Amino acid sequence: MNCELKPKDRIGTINPIFTCQPCGAQYASIGIEDCIGIVHGGQGCVMFVRLLISQHLKESFEIASSSVHEDGAVFGALDRVEEAVDVLLMRYPNVKVVPIITTCSTEVIGDDVDGVVTKLQDELLSVKYPDREVHLIPIHTPSFVGSMVTGYDVAVRDFVKYFSKKDKPSFKLNLITGWVNPGDVKELKHLLAEMQVDATVLFEIESFDSPLMPDKSAVSHGSTTIQDLVGTADAQGTIALNRYEGGQAAKWLQTRWDVPAIIGPTPIGIRNTDTFLRNVKEMTGKPIPESLVRERGIAIDAITDLAHMFLADKRVAIYGNPDLVIGLAEFCLDLEMKPKLLLLGDENAGYADDPRIAALKENVDYPMEIVTNADLFELEDRIKNGLELDLILGHSKGRFVAIDNNIPMLRVGFPTYDRAGMYRHPVVGYAGATWLAEQMANVIFTDMEYKKNKEWILNVW
Amino acid sequence: MPYHEFDCSKCLPERQKHAVVKGAGDNLTTALPLGYLNTIPGSISERGCAYCGAKHVIGTPMKDVIHMSHGPVGCTYDTWQTKRYISDNNNFQLKYTFATDVREKHIVFGAEAMLKQNIIEAFKACPDIKRMTIYQTCATALIGDDINAVAQEVMDEMPDVDIFVCNSPGFGGPSQSGGHHKINIAWINDKVGTVEPEITSDYVINYVGEYNIQGDQEVMLDYFTRMGIQVLSTFTGNGTYDGLRAMHRAHLNVLECARSAEYICNELRARYGIPRLDIDGFGFEPLAQSLRKIGMFFGIEDRAEAIIAEETARWKPELDWYKERLKGKKVCLWPGGSKLWHWAHAIEEEMGVKVVSVYTKFGHQGDMEKGIARCGEDALAIDDPNELEGLEAMERLKPDVIFTGKRPGEVAKKIGVPYLNAHAYHNGPWKGWEGWVRFARDIYNAIYSPIHQLALVDISKDEIATDRGFLTQRLLSDRTLAEEIRTSTRLREYTGTYDPIAALRKKNPPYFTPMAAAAE
Repeated sequence: MNCELKPKDRIGTINPIFTCQPCGAQYASIGIEDCIGIVHGGQGCVMFVRLLISQHLKESFEIASSSVHEDGAVFGALDRVEEAVDVLLMRYPNVKVVPIITTCSTEVIGDDVDGVVTKLQDELLSVKYPDREVHLIPIHTPSFVGSMVTGYDVAVRDFVKYFSKKDKPSFKLNLITGWVNPGDVKELKHLLAEMQVDATVLFEIESFDSPLMPDKSAVSHGSTTIQDLVGTADAQGTIALNRYEGGQAAKWLQTRWDVPAIIGPTPIGIRNTDTFLRNVKEMTGKPIPESLVRERGIAIDAITDLAHMFLADKRVAIYGNPDLVIGLAEFCLDLEMKPKLLLLGDENAGYADDPRIAALKENVDYPMEIVTNADLFELEDRIKNGLELDLILGHSKGRFVAIDNNIPMLRVGFPTYDRAGMYRHPVVGYAGATWLAEQMANVIFTDMEYKKNKEWILNVW
Repeated sequence: MPYHEFDCSKCLPERQKHAVVKGAGDNLTTALPLGYLNTIPGSISERGCAYCGAKHVIGTPMKDVIHMSHGPVGCTYDTWQTKRYISDNNNFQLKYTFATDVREKHIVFGAEAMLKQNIIEAFKACPDIKRMTIYQTCATALIGDDINAVAQEVMDEMPDVDIFVCNSPGFGGPSQSGGHHKINIAWINDKVGTVEPEITSDYVINYVGEYNIQGDQEVMLDYFTRMGIQVLSTFTGNGTYDGLRAMHRAHLNVLECARSAEYICNELRARYGIPRLDIDGFGFEPLAQSLRKIGMFFGIEDRAEAIIAEETARWKPELDWYKERLKGKKVCLWPGGSKLWHWAHAIEEEMGVKVVSVYTKFGHQGDMEKGIARCGEDALAIDDPNELEGLEAMERLKPDVIFTGKRPGEVAKKIGVPYLNAHAYHNGPWKGWEGWVRFARDIYNAIYSPIHQLALVDISKDEIATDRGFLTQRLLSDRTLAEEIRTSTRLREYTGTYDPIAALRKKNPPYFTPMAAAAE
């Protein structure tokens, strides 16, 4: 077999690809309207995650900390949660949804967050805020389990679990986007609008590409409402685009409320977008309109200009969130490129059963490695030991691997703070396919010119 | 006390003593907020944790070291590549970060064995690096791993390596400041005095509390070198591990950031009798005074005066060009700790701006004392500010520019206030004579941005000016300027280069202490 799936050999992590679970839960939480999460742990677990997300989106937003100090670590810190909830509710009168996100410290000391939520509901909420709608939702995301990817998955599931309630069928579709950018949400909404499908988008973060308004009124916040979440039980179906970021929620809705679920594929590239539209058609009975045939044609036209002339046989390494990496690899293959190395930053037991990975193992006809529990040193080490690459696809934390080894790199995934406006552009849908192919070509062109490597070829194109 | 009560914090009585407005005749005995107390949960404070205070702020700027965090990957990842502390060894400490990757099974069964494996693995992965720092995190503090014992075991087995351990879990104290203290004390306890340096000058200093943000340390080092001073170590920006083990042989500790590094200076004084001299690399006058004090200590005032004269002549016309154009501009000076007093007076005096507010996230009352003493009347001073208070303050004070962190800067942006990064700088270095001009230039560019002017126009209501295709900073800043200033031949705009550090590195060989060089 040419393609191998294996964990990295080293026990430690040098230059991690992912951060830990609480970050994923925080990224999910900012997609909900009137929601401010409280992260139960040390202050760094919030301060740095807010910095990270704000570097990526170039926006600010609120997440609170229970500010656990030494005494809390020794004697238990549930009183900090109680105080945090009260302080937050007093000062933010519009807040309705308060996920309480645990961390390694508060999971190790065994704080009973579920218990304190019951207590707060019985005491604080009913006594001090009797007329106010407030939802306290414990989300368990110990940092020593999983990764930011599983943290996102857990949080989406727990939000859906908490709110979803059967009423009457709505003929809406649940669209669980997974860990995407505002630009992706915009493109997905566009595709559904063209299909005339009414969907609930979890989580609706398009507005994080927010304006600077002359009346100074703009703030960045998620737009998924409580009503949206409640209504997920009444939907005619759920499409979770990403198996590892939202897949659990889709499964839960199917098991608990009989909402049919389709999980994946991530609609990256033409083929996966086709499948996505076919799934939407299956679920809703709505036809794929002529307008999308045309959009698809525009994308294929653009890609045809590039694929066999410039992209064919280019050797690529891809790292980042698993659904993104697999989707990009699949698209690269359609573009005649050769993904040589895929790096997944955690060791999810599900990777071995992923049909997409199985298909790669079965069909790739050149040497390719898929490394789980990977770090960025795996990439660097292979390059130093002879792996030849024409392109790297990944997020900004790997920038020095590209810089120091003179390999062109397209920033994609989370976070992408070292390039302007990446969050605005979709990688999903036909627009995403066009953007990805063109940007990959452009970074390769720039590199050819910088290195004087057949740069004259572009004299005629 | 002239406490300032924020509308948004009326419901939090304990916040009321954390902000004051300095009135006419007030001084630090009559106007001083509380400081460095426990954070109020849920207040959306901007504070970090004691782990980051130790690892991220002080530990990691050390350049020839494997920086390993013993815990889950998050602490490591989150504090990696979020600062601009460069070094002259190709930024090893910026590029590489190490996590032991503690998982659930380690929480249950202990993580000491995997720590040892991690250490050995990391040295193998980086064969040129023989020094390591290990930072405890919340998780490994709580399970009680004895990191020091594991480190000692490895050092016994691998005689060519040296390992420093810092036990400063994230929950240790109200803010990152707890971590500054812990790593200061751990370093002097465990590492100072374990290397004997080669002394090459009659004037030997440690440069303490300097983190080489965008090259600050290298700028200052140039001055010290020109004065014939041997800098044994820098704690810690662009500093070497072995240089810092030899701190006990300096004649003088020159202390820059007293908030994060006064502890080690005080201990060096108590244990080795090395005096502490507080200096200030920001601002022409404070910097001149600083070099003068160092010169006086060693009896080489003439060397200091020569540098002061040369640098002032070179850069003063440029600073004054900006001063004329920044006069009266309102500034919120909202850094993390000590910059509130390093900058408050100097920017008012030398750039002509008015500091309308100072705040500190993790400063102690002592920092506020200095800050209050140095800022002018009506300044609003806030300890451990939070999101809503910051917004309320900006709405009330209407500053022209704000100096703060990246994310709060995004908050300011939305209400039409330009920001400069107080921690990582915009286009630094900002220390040194040239650096101070660069700071003024960055402020000028922020305030007089033509785009900033456009941001405030509402095209649906306001008159849209159609007489211009463009504006420049100069057209905006010089509109109301007196003729003789506008046309002055003495004053000039900044004339330096984009990266002044590159030239400095060519001029001065890479900075290694003699001992570190010998050890190689």
